[in-house]
Amino acid sequence: MVDESGVQGGFSTPVGTRRSFFAWVTRMAAAVIGVGLAVPLGGYLISPALTRRERPWIDVGGVDGLIAGQPKQLDHVMAVRDGWAESKSHKAVWAVKQPGGEVTVYSPICTHLGCGYRWDEEKRTFQCPCHGSVYDLEGKVLEGPAPRPLDKLPSKIENGRLLVIYKEFKSGVKSPVEL
Amino acid sequence: MFSKFYAWLDSRLRLKPVEKTLLDEPIPGGASWIYVFGSATLFVFLLQAITGMFLAVYYAPTPDHAYDSIQFIERDVLFGAFVRGLHHWGASAMVVAIGLHMLQTFLYGAYKPPREVMWMIGVMLFLLVMAFAFTGYLLPWDQTAYWATQVGVNMAGTIPFVGDFLVKVLRGGESLGALTLSRFFAVHVLFLPSLLIGLIALHLFVLRRVGPAGPWTDRRASLGSETFYPRQVYMDAVVMLGVFLVLSALAIAVPFPLTDKANPADTSFVPVPEWYFLFYYELLKYVHGPLEPLATWVLPLLVILIMLFWPFIDRNPARNPIRRPVALASGFVFLSVVFALLGISISHLYAVPRADPSIARGKALYAEFGCAGCHRVHGEGGAVGPDLSYIADARPEREWHVKHFRDPQSVSPGSFMPKFPLTEQQLNDLTSYMLSLKRPG
Repeated sequence: MVDESGVQGGFSTPVGTRRSFFAWVTRMAAAVIGVGLAVPLGGYLISPALTRRERPWIDVGGVDGLIAGQPKQLDHVMAVRDGWAESKSHKAVWAVKQPGGEVTVYSPICTHLGCGYRWDEEKRTFQCPCHGSVYDLEGKVLEGPAPRPLDKLPSKIENGRLLVIYKEFKSGVKSPVEL
Repeated sequence: MFSKFYAWLDSRLRLKPVEKTLLDEPIPGGASWIYVFGSATLFVFLLQAITGMFLAVYYAPTPDHAYDSIQFIERDVLFGAFVRGLHHWGASAMVVAIGLHMLQTFLYGAYKPPREVMWMIGVMLFLLVMAFAFTGYLLPWDQTAYWATQVGVNMAGTIPFVGDFLVKVLRGGESLGALTLSRFFAVHVLFLPSLLIGLIALHLFVLRRVGPAGPWTDRRASLGSETFYPRQVYMDAVVMLGVFLVLSALAIAVPFPLTDKANPADTSFVPVPEWYFLFYYELLKYVHGPLEPLATWVLPLLVILIMLFWPFIDRNPARNPIRRPVALASGFVFLSVVFALLGISISHLYAVPRADPSIARGKALYAEFGCAGCHRVHGEGGAVGPDLSYIADARPEREWHVKHFRDPQSVSPGSFMPKFPLTEQQLNDLTSYMLSLKRPG
């Protein structure tokens, strides 16, 4: 093996502190390069998980067409930015005009497992066709497996137009968790 | 902890002999800083492979989205500009590293028997690197990429008989478009890397079979060999770290912005290839008419063949440069021609008035501060203040503008232009923009 003069199998090789110095520098260089790459590349990879989508106010229609106590589904087209792609997405929200004139807007998605529900005029309830969740006009659960009331969306009325921030929420949990 | 784990693994996989083979490789004449270029090239390749994989995470290889996806990486992805910068500058570093590695091999006569095969594989690796550079250049799908590739592909068209067909194969059809982009992408990220990795493995295999060449003088070589680890490894590591730090600094300090999105209809765009293709670009300017094919393919093919078979052309057994005047002189002449062409090309490029980035910044400030509310440039803007369309002809002095922006009344008494709160940089940028507004010619 290595003798005093640092000759190993006929080849010279540094020994002692000289050897450990070279080994230390090598390790340090590798560490600096490793960390120097790992940090930016890690950030690069998780970047989309860190950025929240900007949610603009969307005009979903005039409030004049709404009748108090009569839910109405309002369609609208919104531009969805998906990374570098931009697409138009068709969304519909449920708007309920209150006797006072203010409007409550519900997310169109059942809080149980994410199906779309509908309004039953006869029974005056929202009904989900998938697993039979039933909500009243205030969004409270009357029947079925839904874990929480209908999700309310932020809304405001400006110049007779109803503006909404469209959001989606995690389904199947007790309290609304925005996605 | 680690040594315990290593011992456990070693007792099962018998790693010690492998470790010994890897680390105790004899370096004839001892470790040296002149032997680092091969490792440096390998390191830059790994860096390119890693950054390339990460770029592919967000990149979309279609004409509709390629440009937007790169822009997304540049603007919206955390460290996106840095990762792309590393890959961009890494491409140049790759060419530099492999060039230095070949130069060292050439000077040391390390291609001579028994290392002819290693040299030939090395030349193939060099050609693959050039192919990487060419295919990668198209991927951002901006004007530079599009038009430079257009020119590059058309050069293949001058080859007799098969030229037209070859161009169609390269483009994947009649015109440069979706099929071209996807095949360049596939070649760049799948075909070439597989080939390159295979050839690198072969290159290293041959190296271990024949051993490094070592010094050219028998006297130094007789000093005996030193083990690869730790001193040569340390030198390689220090150089790798240096390369990494330089590339990181370039990636941060010298951004590489996209030009406009590729527009096949805009024929006014003058493409300029990357610097490592410039010498060839310059050469093509001097050869016209019936002689053109000579420059577009006869000469390159000849040079490639000479490089590839060089160990069999230079049959002088001596490795010491002093005793190889012919080989050294031919190498010197070849490099002189290449660098002379490169130099001429660069000086020409700088002679052509090119867009100064400060002008673009100044123009943006002009819009930001609402200057067009009062001033008109080529028919756009208000008519309250003076028309600025050709202001540089009327006021060519830089100092005047700087002074004027600081305090308009100081040089133009009675002016009701407000003082804008401008930083030094903004002052300069806005002035650059003003000075760019002059009559053509």
